[in-house]
Amino acid sequence: MDLKDTKFCVIDLETTGLNVKRDEIIAFACVPVQELKLMVNYAYYTLVKPEKYKIESMKYHGISIDDLEKAPSFNEAANNILKTLDGIIVGHSIEFDYMFLKKSFKKIGIKFEKDIIDIILIEKWLAKKDKNMKLDVTIEGLMNRYGLKDYYRHNAFADAFFTAQIFQFETLKLSQYGINSAKKILEIVRGYNYSHYHDNMRIF
Amino acid sequence: MIPPKEFIKRIRPFSFLSEDETNILILGLEVKLFQKNKTIFKKGDDRKYVYIIFSGLVGLFDDEIAVDYISKGEIFGIISVRDFPYLLDARALEDTVCYLIYSENFKEVFYKNKRFSSFFSTFIKRRFHSFKKIASEKKFFEEATFVLDIEKIIYKKPVVAGPDMTVENATVEMVNNSISSIVVVDKEMRPIGIFTEKDLRKVVIQGDKLHPISKYMSSPVKTINTKTTIFEAFSKMIDAGIDHLVLIKKRKVFGVITGKDIRIQLEPTSSIITLFRKIIMAKSAEELQVIFNNIKISVAKIVLSGSKFFDLTKMLCTVNDAAVVKVIEIVQDEVSMDDFVWIHMGSLGRKEQVLATDQDNALIFIKTHPVKFARDVNKTLAKVGIPECPGDFMASNKKWNKHLSSWKNYFNDWFHNPTANNARYLSIFMDMRPVFGNDNIYKELIESIRANVTDKAIKALAHDAIHIEPPLGIFGIRGLHKGMNLKTYGIYPIVNGARVLAIDNAIFEITNTEERLKVLNDMGVIGNEMCHDVLESYGFLQDLRLKQQSIAVLNQSQENNLIGIKELRKVDLLILKEALKIVSSFQKLLMSKYDVKRVLSYLHTYR
Repeated sequence: MDLKDTKFCVIDLETTGLNVKRDEIIAFACVPVQELKLMVNYAYYTLVKPEKYKIESMKYHGISIDDLEKAPSFNEAANNILKTLDGIIVGHSIEFDYMFLKKSFKKIGIKFEKDIIDIILIEKWLAKKDKNMKLDVTIEGLMNRYGLKDYYRHNAFADAFFTAQIFQFETLKLSQYGINSAKKILEIVRGYNYSHYHDNMRIF
Repeated sequence: MIPPKEFIKRIRPFSFLSEDETNILILGLEVKLFQKNKTIFKKGDDRKYVYIIFSGLVGLFDDEIAVDYISKGEIFGIISVRDFPYLLDARALEDTVCYLIYSENFKEVFYKNKRFSSFFSTFIKRRFHSFKKIASEKKFFEEATFVLDIEKIIYKKPVVAGPDMTVENATVEMVNNSISSIVVVDKEMRPIGIFTEKDLRKVVIQGDKLHPISKYMSSPVKTINTKTTIFEAFSKMIDAGIDHLVLIKKRKVFGVITGKDIRIQLEPTSSIITLFRKIIMAKSAEELQVIFNNIKISVAKIVLSGSKFFDLTKMLCTVNDAAVVKVIEIVQDEVSMDDFVWIHMGSLGRKEQVLATDQDNALIFIKTHPVKFARDVNKTLAKVGIPECPGDFMASNKKWNKHLSSWKNYFNDWFHNPTANNARYLSIFMDMRPVFGNDNIYKELIESIRANVTDKAIKALAHDAIHIEPPLGIFGIRGLHKGMNLKTYGIYPIVNGARVLAIDNAIFEITNTEERLKVLNDMGVIGNEMCHDVLESYGFLQDLRLKQQSIAVLNQSQENNLIGIKELRKVDLLILKEALKIVSSFQKLLMSKYDVKRVLSYLHTYR
């Protein structure tokens, strides 16, 4: 299938910590991409009330317990979240977010299986093709590389949005190497094994 | 808040919108990336979106003729809300990210919010107006090419070599890349020389192809930075009599530009470049006079076609300097160019020459006193079309045609006794820039100045920058119906402020206001935001003034600096007010930094 006809959804999460077993999702953001356009009007963002709030993690995500009190629980938000997760899931260190989603859905009895694309892995692949390219896979580094540098406040919604913009640029670069279908992109990202991946695990 | 909303809210006139209205626009928003050279829409296409550029560059074309270039934060496709199909072709000139707002949503907000729509109706009229003009005189736009940054016409990566590469290998590289030169660089990619076909000839005649190229290269190499305009680069080549310039970005080699590259951009010959060449070739003052007048007209046209002050002013300055140098060459007979240096002050010194600028010049000599020569130059310049200075700040005035030692004494006196009058001299002569003759004389004077700057003089100059308050009242700009002097109320406070900050921080050889502010920003003397805002306001005020003057030139009426309410478009009026507010806050910064106040009596006695 041509890239233009593939649906993607670019996501970003905030969690109470890094441990998939113990920690929980507290914010979910999704920007759908159709015909390679970011559909801002269908973008979705919600806070998620966790079962246990960890005060010390607030310094990383800046979401206060008061904000979360009013938010729906994952169970309550699950329907909306599932609805927006239409297509191949794209993100920055997406494996991490994917595992959190999978676990959260499993907990409420939903089996969640999706194809995922990590923009970091695409970037690594591109760096192999272009020897002059300086590889910096942080969000800030990627924004700089693609001229997206802008006034920017770190939160899940903004991160999902800029991740989607980076993905847009990456697809353009990929098409210059003849990579013009979702299938081919998935082949590329699957070519990277976990060990290769984990040294780039997001650092809070 | 999602980033596009934040971005849009910062752009005028979207900043006028209420939260609800902004949300209507966001509701239909899509973000699309257009690959370089991709067509965004074509003339006659059905309207669907209004476009805002987030990053990149878009060109609007009418039958392949560039009508407008649009960049970050600007809007296009607007006319479509008026139920017309698109009137022009839009094409991405770089990889470009656009925000696409549904025309329907845009229209809804357009009719809801008066302030918002009035901005656009003026805007549409303005674009329409220029379309009409283009249709009748398409050639203006060719001229806009000269003010493009040279970077824009570089399309090849530079081919470089280490100093040890043999001539033979270097030649192979040149042939393989079909280029006429190779840049010799050190390990940091900094240029140390250039090896051209001309140098190759030397090797063929008397050399060895197995020698390192560093033995034959031309060094040091003439460089320019990527922000130089095509025009400046061209004039630099002519001045130096060379055909290759190395482009530098962050001190590293970025590319090479040849005379041919530039000529391709400039042909078919457009008037300014031809006229500039003619200045270089001119033999008599009469010839210059005609050329100069034509240049004024051409420049005026370029201004009205939308070129911006910062780009244009350097071009004007180059043209002006060339004319002055030519006049000096015509007049000069016994005077040796090692004996003196010809100085420009005022706006010419700052490279902020606009159309109505008078002569502001002086002369510093070290041996014989060139009295007649200076008088002849001034008279000839006046004849050519650069009017004599009414304040008599000219080299023909004995006071401003002095031996180097007298000049040192002048500055010494001005800095140590900063009376109102001496402060005025400082503000004029601290913008001096050598134009012709022996640069070392100027450099010696600068060193003497460096040793003589005093705190009390700085304070007096700070007074100079703040003593006129922009006429802002609660109901807008006071007295605008009578006409407001842009120079006095807007431009001078910024120019004077930048100057005093520069002198205070020992920056003497940079005289251009934009460059001064940027260096001050780099040094941390002024913050990013202040620097940005002041430069924006300054550019706007100068643009406005330049437009006024251009109209005057084309109508052959008197050029002046007054702007009245009738001449201002609604949008401009709005921005003018904002600009004056920024001038006012810049003055506040100076007032607190130098502990100076506006004193009424001071104001009266001062001017």
